[in-house]
Amino acid sequence: MAVVLENVTYSYNLDEMHRIDAVKNLSLRIKEGTFVALVGHNGSGKSTFAKLLNGLLLPTSGEVKIFGNSTLDGNKIYEIRKDVGMVFQNPDNQMIASIVEDDVAFGPENLGVEREEIKERVEWALSKVGMLEYRKHTPFKMSGGQKQRLAIAGVLAIKPKVLVLDESTAMLDPQGRSEVLKVAHELNREDGITVIHITHFMEEALDADRLIVMNDGQIAFDGKPREVFKHYEKLKEIKLAVPWETQMAISLKKVGLDMGSGIVNEEELVEKLCQLL
Amino acid sequence: MRDISFGQYYPVKSYVHNIDARIKILITLLYMVSVFFITSYTAFAGVFLFLTIVIAVSHVPYRTVLRSIKGLLFLLIFTAIINIFFTSSGNPLLQIKIGKLMINITDQGINFAVKMALRFSLLVLGSSILTFTTTPTELTDALEVLLKPLTYIKIPVHDLAIIMSIALRFIPGLMEETDKIMMAQKARGANLDSGNFFKKIKAMLPVLIPLFVSAFRRADELADALDARCYNASNKRTKMKVFKLKSTDLIAFFVFVAIVVLIFLDKYLVGAFVPSPDLGSFEVQGLDIFIYNLLLKIKVLIV
Repeated sequence: MAVVLENVTYSYNLDEMHRIDAVKNLSLRIKEGTFVALVGHNGSGKSTFAKLLNGLLLPTSGEVKIFGNSTLDGNKIYEIRKDVGMVFQNPDNQMIASIVEDDVAFGPENLGVEREEIKERVEWALSKVGMLEYRKHTPFKMSGGQKQRLAIAGVLAIKPKVLVLDESTAMLDPQGRSEVLKVAHELNREDGITVIHITHFMEEALDADRLIVMNDGQIAFDGKPREVFKHYEKLKEIKLAVPWETQMAISLKKVGLDMGSGIVNEEELVEKLCQLL
Repeated sequence: MRDISFGQYYPVKSYVHNIDARIKILITLLYMVSVFFITSYTAFAGVFLFLTIVIAVSHVPYRTVLRSIKGLLFLLIFTAIINIFFTSSGNPLLQIKIGKLMINITDQGINFAVKMALRFSLLVLGSSILTFTTTPTELTDALEVLLKPLTYIKIPVHDLAIIMSIALRFIPGLMEETDKIMMAQKARGANLDSGNFFKKIKAMLPVLIPLFVSAFRRADELADALDARCYNASNKRTKMKVFKLKSTDLIAFFVFVAIVVLIFLDKYLVGAFVPSPDLGSFEVQGLDIFIYNLLLKIKVLIV
């Protein structure tokens, strides 16, 4: 198991008297090599969940284990951070150096990797995200998608087994979002990296192996994306929208068309409509 | 390396740009010290000539370099005047009475003032060549290498270097953000550019507060990102880039050392062998003695 959470609760202390449980008694297992999409509305606890994974936050109760190492074990924390690479929301706030290749080299340099190997890793990571030609550039004038791919490269150079994208697509335009998603799926397919993609765009979860919907610090749904989408009414209650194609199919069904179920994208919708014609 | 839109860096390719940043910093330090050992006008002229050649080789336009001295012109003139008024040694040329205060203006005073001004401009010009031809990133990297010995007395050189490089990285972002906030406040009717100095400062408050808030938020996120990328994971931090000295770096260094040697010879050797002309308490120094003697001879010939 790549990631195991056992009865994890995390509370923020507002003051002496008031506490807020951002994550409540959460138990979860994620198998190595899966692509997990974690969707939730603002304040559902999904970002807290992300930070629990690499020990940036420690559980108030319960335990988070990454490949068997608990985040509560102070000696293992760097091993965990080496295993769990994390990319954050704002690409501008996670770059350290003014030159692309220096920034990517930062992680392995921290780990004391040999110079020749750092060079190899930087080249590998940059070519994985399709940014090798920009290695001598400065990230300042790049597009959001490019910057975020660069941030992924910076994390890849540490050679993580799990890649956590903590709302990494939230600030990007549609093109940037699809660039980042494409890279994440490739890493999952080609290199067997477990990906945990945290987002509030339901349609980004479509191609995931597993979709976890969080609400109020707990898991509301957990399953294959198509299965979860069937609960569109309950999803609506927790302020999440299924892809518009699914919604369209549902609306058409309501007015009497035989749409079947499980339509999630444009192709399927078009095909179904053509069949009906 | 491009798009570096801040600092003084002048992005062209040249032999001077290409010199190793460590060597450039060392040369500049050595230069700043040796400027204080320049005594004769001949040596001043020589060093000015040297700087002119260096600037020509660096492909940075003279006008751009001279601009760096423009801002300091006031300070330059001010120190020169102070020097003229408060040097009492030398042969008096003029006496000014201000109330009970007697101020002697002497030839030596003017001599000191002129030399001080020359020294000052040499310092500014020389050090600005460093910043014109070296990117801020190269500078921080080089400083980290040069200051490495300080780690033995437990100064966290690497952390300081990281702080510097992060600061440099965030300058363009923060400038952009300041612009945005200013526009946002203007859009709400803020009046940022009229009124006197104090009013303007007060008007900047609604710009500074959001800027600070956002800077702290950025810092917070950056701290998480540093942690997530295993910052401090190992005591044995490695470096991808190593500075390797090229033969051209060494040549530059030795050319410069030769100049320093000449400056010292001028100060200490010439005076020791050639007697200084007797001009009362006014001192003629270094190679200027030869020039003075030469001028005397020419004068005798003409007369």
